[in-house]
Amino acid sequence: MTEEDGRKDCEGLAPATAATAAVPRLDDLISAVALGDERAYEALYDRSCGWVLGTVRRVLRDPAQAEEVMQEVLLEIWRSASRFDPAQGSAVAWVMTIAHRRAVDRVRSERSHATREQRAATAVIDYDDVTEAVQASLDRERVRRCLGSLTELQRECVGLAYYSGYTYREVAELLSLPPGTVKTRMRDGLIRLRDCLGVA
Amino acid sequence: MSASRHELHTLAGPYALDAVSDADRAGFATHLSECEQCREDVREMREAAARLGLAASVMPRPDLREQTLRAAFASAQLAPVVPAAAPSPPGLLAEKDLVSEAQNSPGSPADTSAPEPGAAAASGVTGWQRLRGRAGAMRPPARISLAAAAVLAAVAAVLGGVTSSALRQLDRSKQQDHLIAAVLSAPDRVMVTAPVMTGGTATLIMSHQAGAAVFTAHGLVALPSTEGYEIWLMGPTGDRAAGMVTPQAGGMAGPEVVRGLRPGDMVGVTVEPARGASHPTSVLVVVFKPRP
Repeated sequence: MTEEDGRKDCEGLAPATAATAAVPRLDDLISAVALGDERAYEALYDRSCGWVLGTVRRVLRDPAQAEEVMQEVLLEIWRSASRFDPAQGSAVAWVMTIAHRRAVDRVRSERSHATREQRAATAVIDYDDVTEAVQASLDRERVRRCLGSLTELQRECVGLAYYSGYTYREVAELLSLPPGTVKTRMRDGLIRLRDCLGVA
Repeated sequence: MSASRHELHTLAGPYALDAVSDADRAGFATHLSECEQCREDVREMREAAARLGLAASVMPRPDLREQTLRAAFASAQLAPVVPAAAPSPPGLLAEKDLVSEAQNSPGSPADTSAPEPGAAAASGVTGWQRLRGRAGAMRPPARISLAAAAVLAAVAAVLGGVTSSALRQLDRSKQQDHLIAAVLSAPDRVMVTAPVMTGGTATLIMSHQAGAAVFTAHGLVALPSTEGYEIWLMGPTGDRAAGMVTPQAGGMAGPEVVRGLRPGDMVGVTVEPARGASHPTSVLVVVFKPRP
């Protein structure tokens, strides 16, 4: 792999910075990792560890658990790099899907012990934090702005699902809405977000 | 059917956000394999959802890097997915070979160096089997640890054939070789063979001393490219994903090293989306249970 300064640091955001000539494409890194290329994996780690930890910590909230799950996610990326299929989505989405899925699985198993009341209370706090979570950089600003273009209901449904790990049925309960409505709001919210961000 | 189909369509949004129960997820994953529009919808929505995650980025502690890299490099990687192919003659031959070998040596002495601790029993028809004569590969530790390559060849022989691509895959990871050697040479190793509910036969060699098991199978039913067989460690503290296995020609799969085996763990296999699940979402097609 190419020499990269600051190898020890993770990139905070913006897969777009990968467009710099010297920096290999994320897709290519994953392909190399699939062949057991350890240097490529180091570069992939540096590129994605911040994304992974950030996502996992939003969902789990517990920093120690988040670190543990981050490591699981990066291990899974190493193990299953050969399963990445560019036809099914971008490399970023692949990494983030693994990260989010793991975080959600973990938070649900943690929650299975909690009472419904506690869950409801946590949910409100979780959601209030969402807007704070997305305010640091330009990219965050862009996501924040796009979240702002959603209706309040769409934003709540998407936020409670993505950042707090609730199922649509749980979101329906929390918001006292029919599950069908929540499903639709999630879909509409994501599509609006996609259009606003110009991804896909 | 069309009503439930419509129901399934509306799950695309929740699915892209992982906002579905395990049961919904499994149902929708099946639906996805036959609904191109849904796949495209999910793909696009996941791109958007990924940005929600990117926006939350935070830097991990620097020391996690070394730790994570080390753990990864010590872990086996999944073999690339080979485009689904009809079972080929070599695979079938290998399978037949194994069967006839077993028939030819029904009374062959069990490997006396393999103790029979209260380690494992397979649920299913075949049940618990001790290592048979064909397992000349099951040698004492000193000999087994000589060369990883020899061990691999031995594993191939024991298990009735391993595709060359599987061997190449193994070759890539010395750690995996070592772990296979450790399992095969562990004094407490046990070997269990059981039928797979959906077809085929699975074999597990496990060692609590090595903290690992080696899984292989033959005659597994080919799955659509969107699905795979996932191995699980199922213990008192919950289920842990332990790797995906992809059947090659003739339904051969593995050897796959199952790491992190703890006392009391069951080892099970389910059919999951190809990228793997974090918890089993469908019925176990085979399970190896610890003996009471």
